[in-house]
Amino acid sequence: MKGPTRLVNAALGAVMATMTAGAAFAQDPITIGYSIARTGIYAAAAPSQENPYKLWQKQVNAEGGLELPDGERRPVEFVSYDDQSNPANTVRIYEKLITQDDVDLLAAPWGTPMHLALAPVLQRYKMPMVGNTAASVQLRNVAPGYIWFPTSAIPDAMGAELAKMMQAEGVETAALLANELPYSQEFRSFLIPALEEVGIEVTVDESYPPDVKDMTSMLVEVREAAPDAVVAMTYPADSFLFAGQARELGIEAPFVMSLIGPTIDAYRKANGAGANGIVSSAHWSSEADAWPKGQAFFDAYVAEFGEEPDALDSALAYMSMEILQQAVAEAGLDPEVLRGAIAEGTFDTINGEVRFDGVQNVVTPTGFVQIQDGKIELVWPEAVKTADFAPKQGW
Amino acid sequence: MKNIGLILGVALAVVAAAVPAFGTPYMMGVVFQVAMWIALAQSWSMLSATTGYLSLGHAVFYGVGAYVCVLLTGTIPFEWALLAGAVAAAVFAAIVGLPVLRVRGPYFVILTYGLSELVRHVVMRIESALGSFGRMIFDVPRTEVLMWWMVGLAVLATLGAYAIRHSRFGAGLAAIREDEVAAETVGVPVTRLKLFAFIASAIIPGAVGGLALLRTSYFEPAQAFDPVISFTIVTMALVGGTETVRGPILGALGFALLSELLWSSLPQLYMIVLGLTLIIFILFVPRGLSGLFGRLGRAG
Amino acid sequence: MDTLLSGQMLFAALVSGSLYALVALGLNLVYGTLRLLNIAHGDLVMIGAYTAFWMISLFAVPPIISLVVAAALCALLGWAVYVGLFRRMLAKPELAKRVEANSLILFYGISVILQNLAALAFTSTSRGYQYLDTVITWQGVSMTGNRLLTLGIAAAICFGTILFLRFHLFGWGLRAVIQRREAAQVVGVNLNRVQLLTICGGFAVAGVAGVLVSMTEQITPFMGFPFTIVAFVVIIIGGLGNIGAGVLAGFCLGLVETYGIALTSPGYRSILIYGLFVGVLLIRPEGIFTKAVRS
Repeated sequence: MKGPTRLVNAALGAVMATMTAGAAFAQDPITIGYSIARTGIYAAAAPSQENPYKLWQKQVNAEGGLELPDGERRPVEFVSYDDQSNPANTVRIYEKLITQDDVDLLAAPWGTPMHLALAPVLQRYKMPMVGNTAASVQLRNVAPGYIWFPTSAIPDAMGAELAKMMQAEGVETAALLANELPYSQEFRSFLIPALEEVGIEVTVDESYPPDVKDMTSMLVEVREAAPDAVVAMTYPADSFLFAGQARELGIEAPFVMSLIGPTIDAYRKANGAGANGIVSSAHWSSEADAWPKGQAFFDAYVAEFGEEPDALDSALAYMSMEILQQAVAEAGLDPEVLRGAIAEGTFDTINGEVRFDGVQNVVTPTGFVQIQDGKIELVWPEAVKTADFAPKQGW
Repeated sequence: MKNIGLILGVALAVVAAAVPAFGTPYMMGVVFQVAMWIALAQSWSMLSATTGYLSLGHAVFYGVGAYVCVLLTGTIPFEWALLAGAVAAAVFAAIVGLPVLRVRGPYFVILTYGLSELVRHVVMRIESALGSFGRMIFDVPRTEVLMWWMVGLAVLATLGAYAIRHSRFGAGLAAIREDEVAAETVGVPVTRLKLFAFIASAIIPGAVGGLALLRTSYFEPAQAFDPVISFTIVTMALVGGTETVRGPILGALGFALLSELLWSSLPQLYMIVLGLTLIIFILFVPRGLSGLFGRLGRAG
Repeated sequence: MDTLLSGQMLFAALVSGSLYALVALGLNLVYGTLRLLNIAHGDLVMIGAYTAFWMISLFAVPPIISLVVAAALCALLGWAVYVGLFRRMLAKPELAKRVEANSLILFYGISVILQNLAALAFTSTSRGYQYLDTVITWQGVSMTGNRLLTLGIAAAICFGTILFLRFHLFGWGLRAVIQRREAAQVVGVNLNRVQLLTICGGFAVAGVAGVLVSMTEQITPFMGFPFTIVAFVVIIIGGLGNIGAGVLAGFCLGLVETYGIALTSPGYRSILIYGLFVGVLLIRPEGIFTKAVRS
């Protein structure tokens, strides 16, 4: 019984942590606050973000704590609350963290709406926070200052890059299926003109609601159009549906993309070999030799949680903590000095070098991954890829 | 008169209790939240407590208000956008009211829920057709301003609910709750009264939706029409007790404060405790907090 | 046009239809006999799904066997809920008077507890497993094994239940309770027993549906709510408490969904379904397959 065991472990862990905290660390801990969607519509996504936080905390504390500029190390303690997947709660929680709980540092909540709702709060209280799991062109409208977004999976850049990649793989016709939720729609709106520009014809273009339960009619249409590429702009729930039914109908396109979902561990468990060849959005892979820290993170994560980290959210969450850690080592805990350090600094992460210009990471290239033999390989762009794109060979 | 004094007393107490702490933004957030639920539960009670027509779809008015408000912010001052949100919710209630209120009992409960979901999906479809993917609002008013607006709406909703209950209108609604057919036979204009109550209960949630939107500065249909809002309203009103005007206040206050307390002290378990509290309440305190306090008051 | 008439579309419609019918069947039994608005119904589906997942992941027990385990687990939960909560509620006149409102809140509480217990015990990470996913092609129609199994089991349980209610003495008693509660007691139906067995049965059916769903969807603690909604849509279209019509309505919803999308656009899927739901409630709240005899 894995679940209950974990519960017991967690309880024991908590007890042990309190005991060791009392014994080993005489110093004051550094508190880091965040909100997380433990309940509600985003709850399934939350562990992929919170697990890296916990892993990072464990690693830092094992090293003696978070390093400050004078070389002193202080243990890290988290203060976290459930935001119930509601941005109004996120706002309230961060106000509480900053003004009541008086935390030293902040970590990010899950999702674009939460990040956007938080930006004015951070501005008001002048507290810096490195974001992670948010991606939208609207992020660029956020006044630069106290929030940064390390992701390079921003829909406009992704649209252009995906079109380039598809062109490079000889795609001439494409079918587009898009969930009606914001991220998919945003991606679709940038992908269509980008495809037009490189001369790829869109033969099917359908949007479907997030609670879709059957995709047969859409996929029959796709099968009849027999495009070279199928780009399914999915969220996790419908990515399972898409894979199952595309397989049932024997969609033969050599290029199959599913936007969000395939990088989740459970997706590969549910689809087995059928998942091989599916392209998805992420700009990190543990396989990259250029990013030696990546494999270490991957191994530690698997050892700790018994499943693979999500190549998108987990990697971003961990990166955001690495950035914070390096900035704190440089600047300490004063919010203004820290803000400067994050804004000006260059960081070494599991995803390579990161540097911000305004709110955005300007180093990490926008990329795509493909599942090959159950592994997540980075197949685009050329400069950082860990494997060549391989056309999908059946399901 | 004793009653209205009590109600105003409670409303003022809520504000007053928080006054010393108003300096802290966190408290402002809590007051905003509590006032929001009072405004919503009180509005809900204008229809559902008075007539017995249990609405499980009040998120629709909240969502319509939020949507209209987000479309208008930037073009007009936010006060006007809020007003427009309230008017839009009322107009929507007026349009759908007649057919919807013909349906009774459990069907009405489910219908109001379904209607709210239908509107949510229509708005999602419109937004996706417009090529909009979540709307951001810039230059939102300060939390303090928003909080005072929300407290104002809560007081307004309470006064409104009180006025309705203690009027001929309210007596007519009570007659509908007791026996609608009999009320109709003795000449109570049943249809008209129900429609008025429906519209009255929609106005303030429209403005509340707009305000809540300004607080998060981001609009997405899935969130604005979240069914959890509807469920929470009904829960708070029933936990507070539907027989008096102070019921929804007590419910919203009790529920919001309880969750505030549990939420930070038992982050993993608080939802479970909340669920248990609900069950215990329904089984052992059927007349809600206000009934409980009434009984204690009499006993003492 | 060819697509519309193809067996592929019909298969898809039948698979979703049978699942809708099954999920709704359990809810309808509970509503029909006890008048309880069970909004925790979808959470039973979630429990069924987790049962199947843990059984196959930990003990390599295939879902076909987990069906029984999930049914038993959910039936047990039904027993606990009935004996612990609802018998008490139905016995208090003060509470029984507002049975809809009270049951709504009670079940809301139960739903919140079940979801969060699951999240606490299993974490909210999504889960999935592979089972029977070979594709069989017959007469040009491609069918995944697990979807075929879903269709078979769901349809068998739905029609089995209808036959049982029609021909078995217990079924007569149950139908009597649904239709004329007081009269049924007068003619000697043991109300308590019928109610207890029905709630167990209704919950068990939801658990079975959960096992079937888990073969094709991701499993999370919060996956249940959409199933609650679909179940309500179906039993409203069929008519609250009308078991046979509910099953028919489930299949109809599957057809409307599949063919409705094909004729319009996938974007209208939810608008179509909720539009139908609201339309039926406005025009014929007693359901489109029910003769309007009862008030």
